[in-house]
Amino acid sequence: MERTSVKVVIAGGFGAGKTTLVSSVSEIAPLTTEEVMTEASIGVDDLAGLESKTRTTVALDFGRITINDEVVLYLFGTPGQDRFWFMWDELTQGALGAVVLVDTRRLPASFASVDYFERRNIPFVLAVNTFFGECAYSDDEIRSALQLNPDVPLVRCDARRAGSSVEVLIALLQHVLAMLPAASAP
Amino acid sequence: MHSDRESEQLVPLYVLVNGRTTPRNAALDLATQVVALPADTTVLEPEYQQILRQCQDWMSIAEISAYLSRPLTVVKVLVDILLEQGYVTLGSAAQRTVYDRALLETLLGGLQRL
Repeated sequence: MERTSVKVVIAGGFGAGKTTLVSSVSEIAPLTTEEVMTEASIGVDDLAGLESKTRTTVALDFGRITINDEVVLYLFGTPGQDRFWFMWDELTQGALGAVVLVDTRRLPASFASVDYFERRNIPFVLAVNTFFGECAYSDDEIRSALQLNPDVPLVRCDARRAGSSVEVLIALLQHVLAMLPAASAP
Repeated sequence: MHSDRESEQLVPLYVLVNGRTTPRNAALDLATQVVALPADTTVLEPEYQQILRQCQDWMSIAEISAYLSRPLTVVKVLVDILLEQGYVTLGSAAQRTVYDRALLETLLGGLQRL
């Protein structure tokens, strides 16, 4: 039987609710895996320095949604600290797309994520996490503050609620589908 | 304080992986699906047997890493060796560069049913 895995990256600033979103939609309790590297090998997929004393451990939280017997979707949260940018390339390798979660109290914290995906032409949606309370900004104000490309969908969500988090993933799927070239006529 | 597994194990990691420091199969990714093939595994070191026990059914590299508390890079190298020796097979990873409309629609339908 064939088995295909699909990756979606959940990004956003520190504390924007990435782990909360992964937890709310994952069918398994979110798991944490670790990547280990020495300062010297950062950015290199290499375990030569594993026995070294100066190793750095990056924790990654992830969850899973089984679509059917043949397709399984994985959600990987990005590491919180900026100094782990090098992990993003591995996370986004082959990923279907990304969700950038935004806490409107800390809009600038999401700017780096938006910039990362735009530069690499990785499709993403901006998800404004509203569980922190009333959002004081309009969509236009948020778009303007983050210099968001007009094509990028902006959705509001409550990352604690599974249904709301699923809507975010659906918005991403629809965005990716809309970017496909139209099916050619026979 | 979590324990330092590499210093606890009897066989040093570099011996276990024959000095290999990076997987030869570059397609091994966090989300790559792995499943054990039927085989006599009694000749294998315990570290390999642990992996094979984990993936009696399809499981991603990231899950194996999380369940066995081993770094991703280590799991990738161990799986790479198991793959070369015919103990496991891999699923396919969706590539963004070759969008598959049918796959996307399957995903969308699956999410909408949640």
